[in-house]
Amino acid sequence: MAVELELEDIQGTVLRSRPMPYFGTYYVFTIDDAGNAITLIKRLLPHITPAANWDAPPENAWINATFSWEGLRKLGLPREILDGFPREFIQGMAARKEFLGDVGLNDPSHWDMPHGGNGLDIGLLIMAGSPELRDAKAAIGREAVAGLGGVRTVNRLDVGLPPTGREHFGFVDGISRPYIEGQGGDPLPGQPVAKAGEFVLGYENELGVIASGPGPEDFWRNSTYISLRKIHQDVAAFRRFLRDNAETSDGRELVAAQMMGRWRSGCPMALSPEKDDPEIAKDPMRNNDFSFRTEDPDGDRTAPGCHIRRVNPRDALDGTVVDMRLHRLLRRGSAYGPVLPEGVTEDDGVDRGLVLAIINANPGRQFEFVQSQWINDGDFISQGERSDPIAGRRDRSDEFAVPRPRHRYKGLAAFSQTRGGEHLFLPGLGGLRWMVERLGPH
Amino acid sequence: MSNLDISPEKAALTQPSSNQPDGPGKRIGKRGEIHVIGNVVPGGGKLFRDRIARFQAEAGYWEKRIGTVHDFRVILFDNDTRILVSAVYDGDFVPYLQDVVTQAGPWFDLLMPGVWEGFTCAADPATAKLIERQAYTADAFYAANPDLTIKDIAKMRRLSEAVNEMLDAAN
Ligand code: HEM
Repeated sequence: MAVELELEDIQGTVLRSRPMPYFGTYYVFTIDDAGNAITLIKRLLPHITPAANWDAPPENAWINATFSWEGLRKLGLPREILDGFPREFIQGMAARKEFLGDVGLNDPSHWDMPHGGNGLDIGLLIMAGSPELRDAKAAIGREAVAGLGGVRTVNRLDVGLPPTGREHFGFVDGISRPYIEGQGGDPLPGQPVAKAGEFVLGYENELGVIASGPGPEDFWRNSTYISLRKIHQDVAAFRRFLRDNAETSDGRELVAAQMMGRWRSGCPMALSPEKDDPEIAKDPMRNNDFSFRTEDPDGDRTAPGCHIRRVNPRDALDGTVVDMRLHRLLRRGSAYGPVLPEGVTEDDGVDRGLVLAIINANPGRQFEFVQSQWINDGDFISQGERSDPIAGRRDRSDEFAVPRPRHRYKGLAAFSQTRGGEHLFLPGLGGLRWMVERLGPH
Repeated sequence: MSNLDISPEKAALTQPSSNQPDGPGKRIGKRGEIHVIGNVVPGGGKLFRDRIARFQAEAGYWEKRIGTVHDFRVILFDNDTRILVSAVYDGDFVPYLQDVVTQAGPWFDLLMPGVWEGFTCAADPATAKLIERQAYTADAFYAANPDLTIKDIAKMRRLSEAVNEMLDAAN
């Protein structure tokens, strides 16, 4: 039977792709007084944007509300419901630092975005197609807290598409994502079809059961989790690495493409291994239409250790212990901070990077699995301690291997460093109403 | 010296071990171990003995598919009241549990339903939880070559065969 997603009840960010260009803001609130925090939710409720009409929204802007486990605890959610959440969500991301490789430069002591353990109780996500629309939505958030004692704004982070139209290392991103059963339209070539329960609670997942949450269904139906990461990018170090490993500008582009598995234009190495082909990159019918198992088992075109073959090995692991269907991620990434001017290879000390908002119904077997097993480790491809050349930890290995032409890059720096992170709960609109009714003053 | 004291000479080769980063099991380098002890349903002993030959016969097929298990055993004990499953394998335990249960589900389903209390079928998400709940961590553990995975060993074997062939050809 065809799945019908209750789009009026699911918060918009689950299905809406960010506008292009995009202008967004993340607000972090700390709760000192539960009653006033419920008032905040009540005030926000009429403004929360659902996923309905996600492909042709009447207004090119949305505002969504999320909660850390600590936030839900402070709001007075009953103990038996709190205890029923997934372990990763209960513990919070900072507490899981060893497992996630958030050690050394990535350690939570360096984080400048609060997490559930030190201030992130409620998170507001705002995304818009223009600065004016963004400011209008942000004003809603500010007005909702205005005059409310007991709820403090402790952090604000603006995100936006850099004028280059690319993320800070110079790549086009936002290309590949799973197609969610019931989202409407048709999957694009190369787009895997995923059960809705992998991304929204209340629907069947890839294990053939209804993904569910703790407590009454009215609370968790149409909710999901966002695994949020604030990642600082050391653009100067990345450029120096390219410079030191290639003589020419074409050579540098090749090194970058080998590390990503796509040319900076977005063109997949799988479809054009020798040189960039921007036409392929622009064509949604072609730019994601490839797989690895039979076409490129040894990684002669797309190196097994590159970013995109790690975070989504597609069919490369078929026939092994790993069931790819259980580890799919839906990304909502956005860049923050000013661009490092072209050609600059010395760090200017300015913070820039990526806020990655990964939507998953099961943060343990989705985000955390990908981060710990595929990004930060190499055993799944027989590469020992080697990690993702773009996004991996660097305390265990600084190597990246390309099978053809056979080459082993050494001295990779910590190009990306964790500066914040939390697993957040994104209730459905009905769940938010349930919270206001059940947890609010009677 | 009391016999509880550690002799420095014999402890020189000690291997640093830790607990699995996320859940039960000990870990030395890349090598992990796990023991799971479940209760047996009354009458399950007979079912177990009827089914064990086929389960054993298919072990190679399924373990090869899983690809990360060095050795594995199942023991029925205490007069058919309890069952022990133990394994030595590469990497993390809990993160891969759901995959293993899903991938080798048909194999476990040959043996366990009606034997292991609480095990209805591998596809039931309660199964992974049951295994995690009934898992024990070893108090002492030793692993030879703890930094080589099954895949690494297979690769080295292919390499050494190739080198031998080359050397043979050269003579
Ligand atoms: C500084 C850090 C990162 C940068 C610059 C980055 C950039 C990119 C780019 C340019 C792509 C290819 C274009 C596309 O398909 O959209 C991509 C794909 C992807 N990234 Fe990242 N990424 C980073 C970190 C991460 C992390 C930490 C995760 C997950 C834990 C992740 C998950 C993914 C996924 C799932 C894909 C899609 C792969 C596919 O389906 O082929 N990325 N990333």
